[in-house]
Amino acid sequence: MTLPTPIAALIEAVDRADTADGLLEATEALAATGHPAGARCLLEILGFNNPGAAVAAVDGLIAIGEPVVDTILDNLDGYNYGARAWSVRALAGIADRRGLPVLERALAADIGPSVRRAAACGLGNLQLTDPNHAEAERERCRQGLIQATDDGEWIVRYAVAVGLERRLRETSCNPMQRQQGENALRKLLSEGEDVKVVRSRARLALQRLSNG
Amino acid sequence: MQSGPEGSQAWNGDPIDEAEALRRLQLSDDPSAQYYAAWWLGRSRTQHPQAVPLLRNALQQRRARQLGDEVEENAVARNAARALGKLGAIANPAIPDLLATLNDDDHGLREAAARSLGQLKAEAAVPLLLARLASGPDVAGAREEGTPRMKEPCDALLEALGDIGIGNDAVLTTLKSFLHHERPVVRSSACRALLQLTDDPQWGEAMVELLQHDQLQVRRAALMDLGATGWRPALTAISNTLAENSLKLIALRGIAETAVDKAVDDAVDDAVLDAMDALL
Repeated sequence: MTLPTPIAALIEAVDRADTADGLLEATEALAATGHPAGARCLLEILGFNNPGAAVAAVDGLIAIGEPVVDTILDNLDGYNYGARAWSVRALAGIADRRGLPVLERALAADIGPSVRRAAACGLGNLQLTDPNHAEAERERCRQGLIQATDDGEWIVRYAVAVGLERRLRETSCNPMQRQQGENALRKLLSEGEDVKVVRSRARLALQRLSNG
Repeated sequence: MQSGPEGSQAWNGDPIDEAEALRRLQLSDDPSAQYYAAWWLGRSRTQHPQAVPLLRNALQQRRARQLGDEVEENAVARNAARALGKLGAIANPAIPDLLATLNDDDHGLREAAARSLGQLKAEAAVPLLLARLASGPDVAGAREEGTPRMKEPCDALLEALGDIGIGNDAVLTTLKSFLHHERPVVRSSACRALLQLTDDPQWGEAMVELLQHDQLQVRRAALMDLGATGWRPALTAISNTLAENSLKLIALRGIAETAVDKAVDDAVDDAVLDAMDALL
């Protein structure tokens, strides 16, 4: 494949970067294009153990959006742990339905709290509109989030409250599903929840839901 | 600054329960099991009546780092000290032990004891903390030869003074003497304590300035310090800091929860929670 000239030059700048700052700048420039031709290079950056550049690369992948989802999924297993964590964040940000199985697994079982946090957020954000699957997929998102109200890390439970609020606000949510989701939020508001800010967020979610 | 938000998970321990943790803490021929047990008890904020006596015993254990050790020097005692700070009022009987530990030869152990005394708001610690800092930034704050650390764990000692909450003249004078320390992380700790004790916004503004520092390590420390003070005007600056979202979220949690403590109910203004939502 022949790359458009400006993209090729930006990728070359990434390859040439020999300092952390240089890599960050080159990544930001490539990410800003939002061009699918930069995807392969952005994915490689996720494995460089340079958090600044990885953040920029994730932003770039999210900017490319839907066209990059298959590439991310195809490469998931080959990544090292750090890169896999970043790619979960990219999938959460892109919000494409093909990311659902990965986000479900990550929220249920990833050892990194920041990965579970991003996955919870993603399950609240996924754009699920495929008429044949949307209903079942939304239910999977809600159930995954409800299960994760038991997570040991406060920030994951916080993200679950945010995700549940978004999913329960959907008009397709029937009264029984809504009831079940609100019960999960009430659990995050109860005595059993020892982190104040999680209780505050769950309360806000319930308030917003009852105000319509 | 204490270990990062992912630190607890990075330690690959198996899932255990309270009874098992209490059992393992007594295995004095298996320091690595004790180390994990002490950490676990602190993290789960156990209120079991046996926990504090057992942690006090563990605090007395000394073991130099040996070849092949996966853990730090006096690891069990250090984790016991850290755990005690997390247990709240139930740990008050351990305050005399922690006070004695403030004078231990082990730098890391003094640091852990100082932080826990701060968390327990142990007013009896103030004279000892001041004594360890009395030689000032040029002596207590000087680099110990052959190591990257200072002679005293100054940041931990300063932060403990702020957490304890006694803002008398002697404390304020000592804190101010560290405002020009060569290490920005120490300056941030001094500002943190001064803001906690005086509510004077100039100390908050000084920490906000450190959020722009060239070094990531300094920006991280300033984030944690601002979070500990819960200083609401720092909200936007925290959100915009070039650092990991995990740390920014911890700092914003501090702001949100300080607001909750000041409010009549658990209400926080939505702007703080919105800022957190945007970082998930």
